[in-house]
Amino acid sequence: MSAPAISMRLARLPGWTVLLAWTAAVLLPLYILVVSCFKTTAEIYDNRLGLPASWAFDNFVRAWTRADLGHNFINSLIVTGGAVILTILVSAMAAYPLSRYRLGWNAIMLGLFLSGIMLPIRLASVELFTLMRNLGLLDSLTGLILVYSAIRIPFAVFIFANFMRVLPSELDEAARIDGAGEVRILFQIILPMVKPAVSIVAIFTAIAVWNDFFFPLIFIFDDRYKTVPLAISVFVGQFRTDWGLVFASLAISMAPILIMYCLLARQIREGVGAGGGMK
Amino acid sequence: MSNPSRKSSLRRTQQRMAVLFILPALAVYALFVLYPLAMSLWGSFFVWKGLRMLEFAGLSNFARLFVFPSNARLYGALWHNVAWFFGIMLFQNGIGLLFAWLLFLRNRGAAFFQSVFFFPAVLSPVIVGALWRLLLAPGGIVEWMLNGLGLHQGSLTVLGNSQTALVMLIAVDAWNWMGLPVLIYTAGLRQISGQIFEAARLDGAGNARMLFSIALPLLMPAVGTLTTLSFINTFNQFDIVYVMQGVQGNPSYATDTLVTYFYRLAFGAEGAVGITDIGLALALGTLLFLILSIGTLLMLRFFDRRTVQL
Repeated sequence: MSAPAISMRLARLPGWTVLLAWTAAVLLPLYILVVSCFKTTAEIYDNRLGLPASWAFDNFVRAWTRADLGHNFINSLIVTGGAVILTILVSAMAAYPLSRYRLGWNAIMLGLFLSGIMLPIRLASVELFTLMRNLGLLDSLTGLILVYSAIRIPFAVFIFANFMRVLPSELDEAARIDGAGEVRILFQIILPMVKPAVSIVAIFTAIAVWNDFFFPLIFIFDDRYKTVPLAISVFVGQFRTDWGLVFASLAISMAPILIMYCLLARQIREGVGAGGGMK
Repeated sequence: MSNPSRKSSLRRTQQRMAVLFILPALAVYALFVLYPLAMSLWGSFFVWKGLRMLEFAGLSNFARLFVFPSNARLYGALWHNVAWFFGIMLFQNGIGLLFAWLLFLRNRGAAFFQSVFFFPAVLSPVIVGALWRLLLAPGGIVEWMLNGLGLHQGSLTVLGNSQTALVMLIAVDAWNWMGLPVLIYTAGLRQISGQIFEAARLDGAGNARMLFSIALPLLMPAVGTLTTLSFINTFNQFDIVYVMQGVQGNPSYATDTLVTYFYRLAFGAEGAVGITDIGLALALGTLLFLILSIGTLLMLRFFDRRTVQL
């Protein structure tokens, strides 16, 4: 290696150090989280950084059954799945005429939906609480699904409309001449063409709904309907001294997101880089 | 010549179908977002008894916000939100720009670092808060490491100390979201033509000069997006405070924010002090709504004017 090449590498050393330092700052807490799941509380104090003495699943079993996290996990899955499906369905339906018909009122209606991307909905939580109570939707997973869908619809309509607008108009015109109805055109021709939009909406809706804590905190009182983040917020206080249990429940609650992230890291990076439309 | 009439019948079918297609999304959105928000703004001008709206009150709810005993809480929470915003701009968006620049200068490993840096952002703030609460607790691993390195002695009480608690929460929030500026800045940097950097390098500009004099002005749209997002997220801050310090913003309201204060007024606190005041809560909500909308509009205009076109 020539001298200039070596000095160029040396010049880059501080930069690499900075990047690796932050990598450690991210990964070390997560490493501690994972190894602590397999340790007893005494072992967590004695053996801080090392691997556990044995890979016992005791903490996971206790978190899943005794703290009943399994129940919360299923609730979160139902709410997340329901909200993702409902959001995609109604938003794609709304975005189709708004982006491909000449209605004369497309811009106004699209503007009404888009204004919701920025609206601070938490501030409406008092009136939302009254509304949910009057509709009998407190302590109900259906209620959460409806609220989350309502919050995610603006972002989803925005994404779908952007993707659908650029499809060639011959697509639906040809189908119409062949006698296809509008419903069929949307679901069998347009929607398969905007699969990237479907996956962006599904990923970001799933993350936002799985992680949300504020609305279950307000609307759910019965243990049977609590979602994972709400249960975790209780555990942290309730099992304060049982660190192994708390670490294990944190690990369980982030597992689905971790798996999804490993599978879809590239799509997520590109989606965020392009729009920043995360929250 | 049936073409014009066929066209107009298509138009009519489309109008009818459009209404049917839009209605489900509009109904859900209007019922669970627009209606409650409009009612909350409207309700802030009325007297409330529990969850019942009584007579018109003009601005008296707002007046009560700014006098004893609410004023101390309001100004405290407002100050914490403002400090939080500037802390995030510096620690998250500032350092994030440095990370993005370092990644941009290297052609290897960018995807790996981006994925690692962004990972905490897909986790729930509840998990992030709970994790850091355990790590930073007295007897926790951070205390053990600092003691081992000789940087600190005895029990670590940064979360219980009103001088340091807010800074710790801001740091945890920055840890959570660091990947966001890194992704948005690297996407922005890649859109800048390589010839510009090439020309600058030939003119003898160093890396720092290129970052601040060339890249940063061209990154103004990204800076604008991040500033606006950080502003909105900061002024909605609730989860990390609730999980790490409780809904009172312990210790002694040192980490209280506008939304935790709103939550206490609207839904009561844990423990014995659960007195709600809906009129005050809605007035605070309207105030926060105004801060957020005016702030967001001003920022969008500010950054729009500073966008450099090449």
